[in-house]
Amino acid sequence: MATEPTTPVITLRGLTKRYGIGDAEQTVIDELDLTIEKGEFIAIMGPSGCGKTTLLNILGLLDHGDDGDYLLDGRNVETMSSARRAKIRSNHIGFVFQNFNLVPRMTVIENVALPLTYQGKGKTRRLKQASKMLATFHLSEREYYMPWQLSGGQTQRVAIARALVNNPSIVLADEPTGNLDSRSSHVIMQELADLHAQGNTIIMVTHNPDLTSYASRVIHMIDGRIASDTKTPRPTKKNPAPKKRLDSNTSKKPAKKRTKKAGKK
Amino acid sequence: MRLLIGNHLAGAYESLRSNRLRTGLTVLGVTIGIASITVILSLSGGATKIITDQTAELGNTIAVVRPGKAPKEARLRDLTSSIAGNQPTSSLTEQDVASIRDTPNVVAAAPIMLLDGSLTAGNNTPDDVSIIATTPELSQVTNLPLGDGQFIDSTTNKDTAVVGAQLSVDLFGTEQSIGRTFRTHGMDFTVIGILKHLNNPVNYSNVDFDHAAIISLESGKSFNQGVAHIQQITIKANSPEHLEGIVAATQKALTANRQGETDFTVLSGSTLSQPANQLFSAIAATLTTVAAVSLVVGGIGIMNIMLVGVSERTREIGIRKALGASGAHITWQFLIESLMMSLAGGAFGYLLGYLLAFTAARIFLTFDPLFSWQIAAAAMGISLVVGLLFGLYPAVRAARKDPIEALRQYH
Repeated sequence: MATEPTTPVITLRGLTKRYGIGDAEQTVIDELDLTIEKGEFIAIMGPSGCGKTTLLNILGLLDHGDDGDYLLDGRNVETMSSARRAKIRSNHIGFVFQNFNLVPRMTVIENVALPLTYQGKGKTRRLKQASKMLATFHLSEREYYMPWQLSGGQTQRVAIARALVNNPSIVLADEPTGNLDSRSSHVIMQELADLHAQGNTIIMVTHNPDLTSYASRVIHMIDGRIASDTKTPRPTKKNPAPKKRLDSNTSKKPAKKRTKKAGKK
Repeated sequence: MRLLIGNHLAGAYESLRSNRLRTGLTVLGVTIGIASITVILSLSGGATKIITDQTAELGNTIAVVRPGKAPKEARLRDLTSSIAGNQPTSSLTEQDVASIRDTPNVVAAAPIMLLDGSLTAGNNTPDDVSIIATTPELSQVTNLPLGDGQFIDSTTNKDTAVVGAQLSVDLFGTEQSIGRTFRTHGMDFTVIGILKHLNNPVNYSNVDFDHAAIISLESGKSFNQGVAHIQQITIKANSPEHLEGIVAATQKALTANRQGETDFTVLSGSTLSQPANQLFSAIAATLTTVAAVSLVVGGIGIMNIMLVGVSERTREIGIRKALGASGAHITWQFLIESLMMSLAGGAFGYLLGYLLAFTAARIFLTFDPLFSWQIAAAAMGISLVVGLLFGLYPAVRAARKDPIEALRQYH
């Protein structure tokens, strides 16, 4: 059931987003129609300013479209109250930001545990779960470091750990490997590929054509429209990773757990 | 939806602790306001309690008639008005005293006539003296223990007097002054009794008996063209149950004496305990105004610092929202921070207020400030309201931030 591409989890109908007013008005997303099935791994590509990040923000319920509908699991989220949208963000969406966005005055483990706070979990459970998640990314010794004490790759791994800690069914990643060298990039990508293999929907914005080999579907955007939409012939999980993940032998256990929970949704 | 109060408390504590100086100064603003309120409440409470205790000592059987309408709420402009009890004319007459005495269940009714003028004995003319002309019943309606000699009574001569302990010392240099004479209004008085040292200038008779000379009503009248100029009639009932009836009967009798005019006030119970001196009320009103102003200033300080905190942490707000925090979560996060500051200010202010009240009481006053849960509740309640009132706007502002805009902000 991991990759059963039949249920549309995200449906966009004529989604439009404009910035500015009057003469300065600029359409960033122009009547976009898009259907994303459960379990897809989508890479969105395109030149700067084509609306990739805006689209991702709207998909992550951080932003609103000006026109059109956005159906998430069949429910129109554009008309929902902000509290309900917050709840969906809290329970179903994991967001990996381009510039990490760790809270600077919190330790690594507090940062990772933060999404669990808003699910109402107790402190001990939060820290345990966060610790487990950090162990998956080989950051156990860095739990009580402050974000500024980490290297770029570590910071990005913390950011991904935080996005995954609440077992989201949809993971949105805005250039998750943007600032990393290719080796670190592939470590991160392997982790996303593992998540995808467990049935999670992953939507990733990237500039790096190398990374599209992980995706099951590649969308090119130009000027707020979809220029091309190609499904890669082979499902990702059979794709051999260009470089073997350094820690693939230890990441099995927690990964299994996530599969179970993802299956419920 | 859970409000996560525990998390917010821990988070607010952390964030306040990381800006110690800023937090301390903000808390100080509230502390000063709450301290002034505590001083006012504890001291005026202490003063009220003295009178309550005095009437309780006499079994809650005391009612008092004063000229003029009932005292109004304390107002600032009372500071410039004349002080009640020293009105140049009084509407109370000897006939009123007689009517009250005839009321059933009244044990005694004593008029108090305050006279202007000074006392002289030898070369001593002490300041700050009250001359009271009254009837022997005063010793029944007011607790006046005699240190030596006897109280004026119906058989004593017109030219005899009872003096307060401190007055005796001021006049004669000793508390053993029986048989000595002083002069006032061109007449010599012989001391036949000396009161014990009382040290309670605040009482329902509005007289500091330590500095008083008590003479007979006849003598007092003779200094005032034969007219009794009565500032107060104190009534003692035979039991507390009858007090209410007596108050009603007095009201009725005195109204009848005046053909329907009510230019007098009958006080009993808690109304009697209110600080009678209008100057006292006026000072309390002034201090309350000052406290209110400083609380508003303290509240603005909280609001200011919270707005700074919100804009400093705009990005954090964006991150938290992106990770699933709702507007309510963010509102509570900041509201709890401002409440923490205002409540800390309330607690410190309460302690500081009592410190000041005790210092003031020991140096200037003859009574201790009152301790009661109402004052503690008022201090906490007011600081809670200040924290809510001035913390709400910054908190709502934080919650309304658009996550995208907030995430875009660098710092």
